[in-house]
Amino acid sequence: MPCTHAPARTCGNASAPITRVLLVFEHDALIQDLFLPRAGTERLGPMLFWFVATAVTVIACAALYYAAGPRMVNQSTPLSGDPNSHFRLLLDGIESDRASGKLGEAEAVAAKAELAREILRAKADQDGARTASASLGRKPLAIGLLAVAFLALGLYALLGSPNLPAQPLADRPELAAANLDLGSAVARIEAALAANPDDLQGWSVIAPAYVELGRLEDAIRAYRRVLELGEPTAAVQTSLAEVLLLQANGAGSPEAMDLLEAAAQSDPNHVLSRLYLASELTRQERYPEAVDAWNAAIALSTGEELWLSAAQEGLRVAQSGGTAEAEAQQAQMIAQMVSGLAERLAQSGGSIEEWAQLVRAYLVLGDEEKAQAAYDDAVRAFPQAFDRGDLDTIALGAGLKLNGATP
Amino acid sequence: MSIELGHFALILAFAIATISTIGGYLFWRTGLRIAMVLSQGAILQFILVAVAFGALIQAFVVSDFSLALAVNHSHSLKPLLFKISGVWGNHEGSMVLWILILVAFGAMVAAFGRRLPHDLLALVLATQSLLTAAFAGFTLFTSNPFERVFQPPLEGNDLNPVLQDIGLAIHPPLLYAGYVGFSICFSFAVAALISGRIDQAWARWVRPWTMLSWTFLTLGIAMGSYWAYYELGWGGWWFWDPVENASFMPWLAGTALLHSALVMEKRNALKIWTIFLSIITFSLSLLGTFLVRSGILTSVHTFASDPTRGLVILTLLALVIGGAFFLFALRASSLRQGGLFAPVSREGALILNNLFLATAVGAVLVGTLYPLLLDALTGTSISVGAPFFNLTFGALMAPLLLVLPFGPLLAWKRADVVNAAQRLMAAAGLAIFVTILVSALGGVALSLAPLGLLLGFWVAFGAVAELVDRSKLGRIPLGESRRRLVGLPRTAWSTAIGHFGVGVTVLGIVSTTAWETELVTRLNPGETAVLAGYTIAFDSFEQVPGPNYISDQGHFTITAPNGRTRQTMADRRTYVASGMPTTEAAIETYGFSQLYLQLGEPLEDTHVVRVWHKPYITLIWLGAVLMSLAGLLSLTDRKLRIGVPQKARKPVAEPAQ
Repeated sequence: MPCTHAPARTCGNASAPITRVLLVFEHDALIQDLFLPRAGTERLGPMLFWFVATAVTVIACAALYYAAGPRMVNQSTPLSGDPNSHFRLLLDGIESDRASGKLGEAEAVAAKAELAREILRAKADQDGARTASASLGRKPLAIGLLAVAFLALGLYALLGSPNLPAQPLADRPELAAANLDLGSAVARIEAALAANPDDLQGWSVIAPAYVELGRLEDAIRAYRRVLELGEPTAAVQTSLAEVLLLQANGAGSPEAMDLLEAAAQSDPNHVLSRLYLASELTRQERYPEAVDAWNAAIALSTGEELWLSAAQEGLRVAQSGGTAEAEAQQAQMIAQMVSGLAERLAQSGGSIEEWAQLVRAYLVLGDEEKAQAAYDDAVRAFPQAFDRGDLDTIALGAGLKLNGATP
Repeated sequence: MSIELGHFALILAFAIATISTIGGYLFWRTGLRIAMVLSQGAILQFILVAVAFGALIQAFVVSDFSLALAVNHSHSLKPLLFKISGVWGNHEGSMVLWILILVAFGAMVAAFGRRLPHDLLALVLATQSLLTAAFAGFTLFTSNPFERVFQPPLEGNDLNPVLQDIGLAIHPPLLYAGYVGFSICFSFAVAALISGRIDQAWARWVRPWTMLSWTFLTLGIAMGSYWAYYELGWGGWWFWDPVENASFMPWLAGTALLHSALVMEKRNALKIWTIFLSIITFSLSLLGTFLVRSGILTSVHTFASDPTRGLVILTLLALVIGGAFFLFALRASSLRQGGLFAPVSREGALILNNLFLATAVGAVLVGTLYPLLLDALTGTSISVGAPFFNLTFGALMAPLLLVLPFGPLLAWKRADVVNAAQRLMAAAGLAIFVTILVSALGGVALSLAPLGLLLGFWVAFGAVAELVDRSKLGRIPLGESRRRLVGLPRTAWSTAIGHFGVGVTVLGIVSTTAWETELVTRLNPGETAVLAGYTIAFDSFEQVPGPNYISDQGHFTITAPNGRTRQTMADRRTYVASGMPTTEAAIETYGFSQLYLQLGEPLEDTHVVRVWHKPYITLIWLGAVLMSLAGLLSLTDRKLRIGVPQKARKPVAEPAQ
């Protein structure tokens, strides 16, 4: 079965991701009203945010302003800045070295003299520095603080999103939907439908839910009911055809084909129905028609759709008429690539990943002898086992000789 | 609103840092007031960045997927610890952590530095603010962690499974504390160059910061190495990966700085060199940041990155480093050379140490950058692997380790090498004896390994020799010796412990490299394998669901050579959100050795099992821990304690007038 050429949904089994149902719930006001608790998320306006931000800025600027205030903080020369205290330690060091015999008397005297010169120089430096200073005025300080405030608030206005509230997962309504037991939700809708069997909306909600739950018979029944109650739309027809195909499990269904054709005819822009049609035609090996159908679908694309590459692949298969020609070409290409890689590795060496690739390629091609030779070469190039990583696993799995012996 | 407030806090911190930089450089001469304003500014920056960081953590913890960062790197099912550590398990968040540590160091200088000369303090804080402004600006404009999502998805993309480990909670903060701590030395160097105030007192203020950063960096690298060892599943503890090298180079340069600052503090010599090292060390830290975030490299450390970011960091790097070196070129020649000394002296030994370390930095730098440059310029990709580094680095370290024990035994200014050698005789004899003993017991193989062991023991015993020597152990009554030993300054203890740690690490590296054994085999439950005297029985295999992964668990029973058995479990995890697998190896420690067992891919109906026996491997990290302890011990020394005023000593001599 050319399942790979069909759009993803026909290939999936009945337990497709739950997000599909969530989408249905999310967009359906009825269901939301029925089952989802309305979250009481606090929506603090941006006004409050700007108030807090401005307050923080003002506090920060005030803190900076008062730091420059006329307090008496360490007005004296700092202790460790005082050269004397540091030099006194050095002097102690010289004395203790002398006492312990590490320095001779003469050397100690010389060291002390050097120290004294150092102190004089430091004092001169300090006096020079003192005369150069003038106090920081109020004006530059005020300008600086204003700059801080404007820079911060302005930049935030540029980068921030003050309107966006926090949305912790626990407070979000969709989460409640995710945690809602699908089975019990369906049971509640079923009860509502039993009381009111003509509720079009109820049937359209429950049909995809049935698909999720794998209840295909019920889904078909529900979709049929939707078609009976309302105008048949291309979307509903395609959905029904999809379930029919799912149920047929790859065997095809004439009814589904009719539905898809009807959907494609009724809506000239409906893509999904055309994709299903094309893949079914390909599966039935009706290649000329399949080529037309694929082309019709591809003609509707804008070039960015996710299904486009799959459709092009399908078109290629349909065009090549299902012959093995393409596969033969591929095999030849692989063989060329492998020999190229082998040549390069033999001549100039390469990374362990490349060696692993080569061994794996030989194994895939069924050439165990060459695989073993390549593995042995790789071991010579990478003698440490932890360098080899995956390669050993591949070799072990293929039953190649390892550690010099067959495992 | 908390996310937006966090965003605003980061922006405000950026604004304060920017204005502090400008104000600081304009008005540093004016004295007390500007220093006080900048101090306040530094503390405010710290508070604000902490608030921003807290806002990110909060958003991750409550799984607020309106934050793009949380969408990309979190998952509501992740355990709480990994939700928190996930904040910095990515480029944007880790930048905030980087900045947080940067401003924390700045705030520490502001808080403890009130006794520094005002002009120097103002310049240091201005430079620190410059770095904060540069990196906060980079973060805000090119990689904003506070970006929001207007239609939040229901679930996040989860964190890279390899990072979902306790290691992420410890390794980056420690490493960053090390990297960033060196920014203080850098700022001090720049301040010294601008103000022209470069003296012994300067060295005394810088050395605690060097020591602190170096201690963090040592722990950070050791932790990273152990993490790689147990998490990556190959049992390798050092790969010479460019990013590892990027953390190792600042460490080597920092080690050199630590020692040269010592010479400058004690002897007023090596001033220019010390300044140069301060700048180089932080530059190498920045280089590491650049390599990790620019997209040049791909490894477990690199973040998904785009080239524009790389370009911006490169520009920042060039400006900061280039500016500093420009200043250095302008001012270095005007610096006065300090105290003179004979070639054979403590100073001489420390210079030798610096030469070897600096050359080692050069070797690692070349090995790391050459392939990158070659790739960038010519498009040829070559790989400079472990053999290059082992050879060059090993060749440089061997002589360094050989002369290491002499250093602490030499006197300042002029020393007697024969005398020092005599005092080391016992240590040398003991090292030779132990090496021969170990080789004899283990069976001698003709290789370099016994020489390596000899070197390790020599360094370790040599480190102890100084303590033995200074306490006159064996020459005077034992009680007296003990009293002397306790009375030794903490720096003496710190030196001995630190150097002993180096020896211990060398021993671990040598023994695990030389005598490691490995086995790769396929096992079924019920079968056994034997390696290095250990019998490994594969008991059972089962699939167990974890919080956000499915775990394939293999249960093993290991029987040690002495007959004791242990149960252990190795597993492979497949993470639900990303579908990525990780391996969690079973590691059993026997004494200092470890048995490392990794469950490989399932093969048909059997399992690949890899087992390594790694003799004395834990010594590698124990040595690093000892080195860090030595760093901490040295920080508690009264003379070095940050900012605590000196108490008046007992007058030994008349103070110089």
